[in-house]
Amino acid sequence: MDAPVYYSKAEFIETDTGNKVSRRATIAGPQNIILGGKTIISSGAIIRGDLRRTGPGHAVVISLGRYCLVGEGCVMRPPYKTYRGNFNYYPMKIGDYVHIGANTVVEAATIGNHVVIGKNCVIGKFTIIKDCAQVADNTVIPPNTVIPALALFAGSPGRFVEDLPESTQEMVESQTKQYYSRFQPLER
Amino acid sequence: MAPTIHYYCPCQSGESVQTPPPPHMASSSASFHPLHSLFFCEECDAVRCNRCVSIEVSGYYCPNCLFEVPSASVRAEKNSNRCARNCFSCPICRSTLQVVASDPPDGGDGRPSVSLSNVGEPPFFLYCNHCRWDSAEVGITFEKPTGLAAQLQKFEDSAPESLEFERLKEHFEPFLRTSSLSSLSHVPSTSSHHLPTSSATAAASAALARDVPGVGKYNPPARSRVGRDRTANKDEMPEYKSRMEISVLGQLGSEGDGSDVEALRRMETAEEIASLEQRWGNSWTTSSRTSDLRPLRIPLHSKVSKRCPTCRHILIKPEQKAQSVRYKIKLVAANYLPAMTVALPHTQGADTTRRPQAKAPSTSDDRNVGAIMAGKSYPFHLALTNPLYDPIQVRLSVQRMHVTAVTDGTAPEKARRTPFAVSLPTSSFPVAAFAEAWEYDDDDDMFGLEDDELGLEMGRTRDKDGKGKGKTVGVLEKRANVTVVGGEVVIGKEARGHVKFNMLVSYTYRSDDPLPSEDGAGTPSRTVAKTPEVKTFTFYTVVDLGPILPREEKVDPDI
Repeated sequence: MDAPVYYSKAEFIETDTGNKVSRRATIAGPQNIILGGKTIISSGAIIRGDLRRTGPGHAVVISLGRYCLVGEGCVMRPPYKTYRGNFNYYPMKIGDYVHIGANTVVEAATIGNHVVIGKNCVIGKFTIIKDCAQVADNTVIPPNTVIPALALFAGSPGRFVEDLPESTQEMVESQTKQYYSRFQPLER
Repeated sequence: MAPTIHYYCPCQSGESVQTPPPPHMASSSASFHPLHSLFFCEECDAVRCNRCVSIEVSGYYCPNCLFEVPSASVRAEKNSNRCARNCFSCPICRSTLQVVASDPPDGGDGRPSVSLSNVGEPPFFLYCNHCRWDSAEVGITFEKPTGLAAQLQKFEDSAPESLEFERLKEHFEPFLRTSSLSSLSHVPSTSSHHLPTSSATAAASAALARDVPGVGKYNPPARSRVGRDRTANKDEMPEYKSRMEISVLGQLGSEGDGSDVEALRRMETAEEIASLEQRWGNSWTTSSRTSDLRPLRIPLHSKVSKRCPTCRHILIKPEQKAQSVRYKIKLVAANYLPAMTVALPHTQGADTTRRPQAKAPSTSDDRNVGAIMAGKSYPFHLALTNPLYDPIQVRLSVQRMHVTAVTDGTAPEKARRTPFAVSLPTSSFPVAAFAEAWEYDDDDDMFGLEDDELGLEMGRTRDKDGKGKGKTVGVLEKRANVTVVGGEVVIGKEARGHVKFNMLVSYTYRSDDPLPSEDGAGTPSRTVAKTPEVKTFTFYTVVDLGPILPREEKVDPDI
């Protein structure tokens, strides 16, 4: 757990707020994406900030909080709906301390704080994930699901498995902060 | 498999036994828990786990619409342990159903027409996003998109099983009420549940309290005389006549009247019969065909508050809001006991060097490098994190255990030899106090602590693995409020199974007395109270270092 996670220094761009974005990640529409600070976007991730809702002015399509981790090969697309004949994309809001595993497809509408999502998951459109929830690996969450706080979902379709212990919030917070501090460039 | 440490809760063992069971037995895993699922009672100075705490419901909410349902309405109404609004679950795949409107009428010219109303056209029905089932298949449609449970309530109430249940309740209620009044003196005063709100539940809890201490009251054949047993000092109860005959009910379900056999003969795929998981939630037998499954209302979830079983002190008390993750009272063991993690350094050395390069060629290589092989000795690192605001002194000791069980093949006399030997530092070592995170900022060079032990080492200096280490057993590193100690385990040649041993951890800490008296004319007892007292707490843990690979099965890494 104390072992550092090395990355190649040339691969990641580090911003002044501490965000580390891989150059091999596909970021579309970066002007519509907000990163909270000390967030890591791994290589191969695809973040679609270009799918914005029609309308004038500046729109925030995807916003991530602090100490987040978007895993390798992850796809993040905002959800869309046809309502009364109009097709529209809806913004995607992700909280702080959220870890999203590798190869996960996320189309949720809202993700709260301290959420851990496993790898190879599919989060359907307009899913609402409340604080401190966890989604196990290889889960398929159908669209319009609500995952209540401190719930663990698993399976396909994702179902409620159990309630997580009360100290989950501190655990996830310290794990995400530690991961960020272990994520160090390898000096070559 | 990464090495783990679990903590022991003595609730499973008897009252007098405090030592944990030997860890190699399969049944002992029930007594050991990860630290973050444990609680700590300050009054009893004891660890509590989820099995021994007593639980009270503090609120109910629907897991789909997140609507908080008041506890009073949940207990009072009949069907009210389920969401009363629009939340239904698909009978096929158990995901939540979405209320959709029917397609608007076609304009006839091929273009998709725009619906004029805000919510769409009636009739509305339920649709599953995952398996594409919709409620029109069972004929359930709604006129309005809201208040669906109320619209279905009429059908539910006229179902034969609910009418039968009402009749049963009316039959038993007068007798239960009179018997509960006479037996209220028997109800134990330390009941941990709220007073029941209805006479039926009051009678049920009174009957249960009376029956549990006495074992010999079970009368299996006396089905019709159940009421008579409970109202032992009451008059006879008239015999109950059910509302409809059993043979009539058989036509509802699959009670062997030939119609289900006919259905089975005409069946084409196995999916036409509903699976057990889809059917066992119904209280009465219903048709076993998948096409007859109805959508179910989503059951409510509850937020619980937990109490210590002996002293009734509240350990967990959640906030009023259903979806808030904060707690009014939160006495978790992680705030009192040091958190311990164990790692095998030779495993970590293999992982970190591979990362920036291409993917590792084979996994069997990892297995041999990272695993524990029989006949060798391995060092392991134990990291202790101190959660208290005072420094602690920790002493570790391995519990000696009798090993009698070994896997197949070995002769009995070989089995008695201990498969591995563990050596740990025997003297006590200190772990520094916990301070707020801003004191340990990465960018800051200075630590600003008075503790001189930390002043010796700046940052994260630790013994590099390449350098020659002077010792493997003993304190290896002290950083912030974490101390890493090293131990060594020697695996015997004939050892099998997992390397698991119980470890006794005892730590002492100073608990300073608050409010020293400023008044010079203090009483003698106050001057005594100024000296801080040293408290010791002891707990057991089980350390699992992983499975032992026998020496003969070494896989050739070239293959």
